[in-house]
Amino acid sequence: MTRITVPIGPQHPLIKEPIAIRLDVQGERVLAAEIGIGYVHRGLEHLLQRRTYAQGVAIVERICGICSHAHTTAYCQCIEALALLETPPRALAIRTLLCELERIHSHLLWLGVLAEAIGFNTIFMYAWREREQVLDIMEAISGGRIAHGVNVIGGVREDVTAQQARQALAMLNALREQMRTFVDLVERDRSFLRRTQGIGRLTREDVRAYGIVGPVARASGATLDIRRAAPYAAYTWLHVPHAVLVEGDVLARARVRVAEVQYSLSLCEQLLAALPEGALTTRSPRRVPEGEAITRIEAPRGELLYYVRSDGSDKPARVHARTPTLPTLMALRTMLPGLHTGDVAAVVAGADLCMACADR
Amino acid sequence: MAEIVALAEIVLFPGALYLVTLGLLLSWVDRKATALLQGRVGPPLYQPLADLVKLLGKEDILTRGADANLAAALPVLALACTLTAGLLVPVGNHSVIAFHGDLIVVLFLLSLPTLALFLAGLNVPSVYNILGGNRALLQYLSFELPLMLGIAAPAVYARNWSIDALMKLQVGYHWFMLALPLGFLVATLGLIGKLERLPLDSPHAKAEIGAGPLTEYSGRKLALWRLVTWVQTVVGVNLMVAVYLGGADSAWAYWGFGAYALKVLMYTAGLALVQVLYARLRVDQVADLSWRTLVPLGLAQLVLAVWIGG
Repeated sequence: MTRITVPIGPQHPLIKEPIAIRLDVQGERVLAAEIGIGYVHRGLEHLLQRRTYAQGVAIVERICGICSHAHTTAYCQCIEALALLETPPRALAIRTLLCELERIHSHLLWLGVLAEAIGFNTIFMYAWREREQVLDIMEAISGGRIAHGVNVIGGVREDVTAQQARQALAMLNALREQMRTFVDLVERDRSFLRRTQGIGRLTREDVRAYGIVGPVARASGATLDIRRAAPYAAYTWLHVPHAVLVEGDVLARARVRVAEVQYSLSLCEQLLAALPEGALTTRSPRRVPEGEAITRIEAPRGELLYYVRSDGSDKPARVHARTPTLPTLMALRTMLPGLHTGDVAAVVAGADLCMACADR
Repeated sequence: MAEIVALAEIVLFPGALYLVTLGLLLSWVDRKATALLQGRVGPPLYQPLADLVKLLGKEDILTRGADANLAAALPVLALACTLTAGLLVPVGNHSVIAFHGDLIVVLFLLSLPTLALFLAGLNVPSVYNILGGNRALLQYLSFELPLMLGIAAPAVYARNWSIDALMKLQVGYHWFMLALPLGFLVATLGLIGKLERLPLDSPHAKAEIGAGPLTEYSGRKLALWRLVTWVQTVVGVNLMVAVYLGGADSAWAYWGFGAYALKVLMYTAGLALVQVLYARLRVDQVADLSWRTLVPLGLAQLVLAVWIGG
């Protein structure tokens, strides 16, 4: 049989963001895969060096359209560490609340994308409909559905009023009811299992070798979760349950994420029920003392690392973000060969790639 | 006068114009029912017509290396075959042409468009088209037999190969769906595969190979191919209604056409329900379903039909 090359991307219905996957295919079997990235490189890290620290918050927020709040949280934490700022507990709680809301919306969005990739349009519609509720809560709190503009250096800009908290709790309660559909889907639905079980498998050794983080790693038996390993913000006083499975296939990734949505729901409820009183911000200096700092946070896709170096001026000398997509992206070269061409969609969608994060 | 009536039957009702209009309507029913089941609003009634008109006005581009004549002829051939098949299948309680053995001719005419689609895919030198064309052929090999077995069961059961006669035999709620439930199931799944509808739509699985065999087609040719699918749906649904659901049979004689229309709409909504409930099957799972499940079931039903029929 002849070998043919099937290009997926940079423009293709499967992928929501530009990435080029070239599949070497014989019959319906994938022999090799080449990954090409860089299509959404915007030079944002360089741009950050030319703007003040405060302006940088708006830039890092625009690195990614799904985990925008995770980026600003990591960036602000990094500068707060450099400038030795004490962030008030109420600000930390609101930050964490948005982090968890963002995780819910990111995971539901991912579930929809996976469902569409395996031709399960109903679940795609349901997942994105439920995701809207989370976006509504975030809009009520911050005025923004995607870019929230909540984080500032030294605290948060938006307060959560008692009435907003009550409304949000009611909506989260409704969402918890709806999550039963998705639990049933990933646990029992035969047509879903048939398309996700046993494909795109990664072992714990693969996870270690590639440095994979987040839900993909936790679906392969790795227990890494920054919220537990190195608690930050409100996670220092919250108990974060974790979902770890060992199968390492697309189904396990789906199960981990559905479980995480439920955990995030209860974290949000805990935070909303008992928001600490106090100020929202501390005064932050215009110039940051010389030095360098690293922070790690658990973004929806896994560990997000920020490095900031200051030369004492009002602009950072260097800002670097290490996003969770990169190692998963490289692991595609292990996951794709040997697959049936019909499974490529499920594996690529199931990897939850965020190209805007990876390319910056 | 007789010639004018015959011409009107072929061109207007229940021929080409009716089949195309009903195709647009069923496409709307399908989309609307799917949308409602998924918790969406769905398109307005005129949407399929608007889509068709807009597509007809679009620029018609063909990839270099493709045979222009073949590309132009194939959708016309497919549409002609489907419309001809439509004349043989009863609309209400009346078909334009009816003769002994027309059931076999209809099945033959319905299989030609699938082969034309396969050729249309191979005609364009693009990876997605060729993979899609191959999958269309696999689909053809997988679902032609279950559909034929399913449709043949009532014919064997009643010892009659005329659609019209089969329909008339069911008068008084002796629907073959009740006597031959397995055959009905196999034929319905065969039809879903034949029409390449979810969950059996791997020949044009969007996330895998784009639009499959029709990826590089645009404008009028694509519009014609769409039309082929819709008219095929109409003919398939009409055939199932006539052979399995008693056609225009109802308790009230004057209500004949209404009963037929209701059954057609309900059956289409049923297809929409199946589409909503399941994830797409992978190509090899499709072949598995057909050869390991549907074909044995169809054969069993056939044997059973010979046994209990007569």
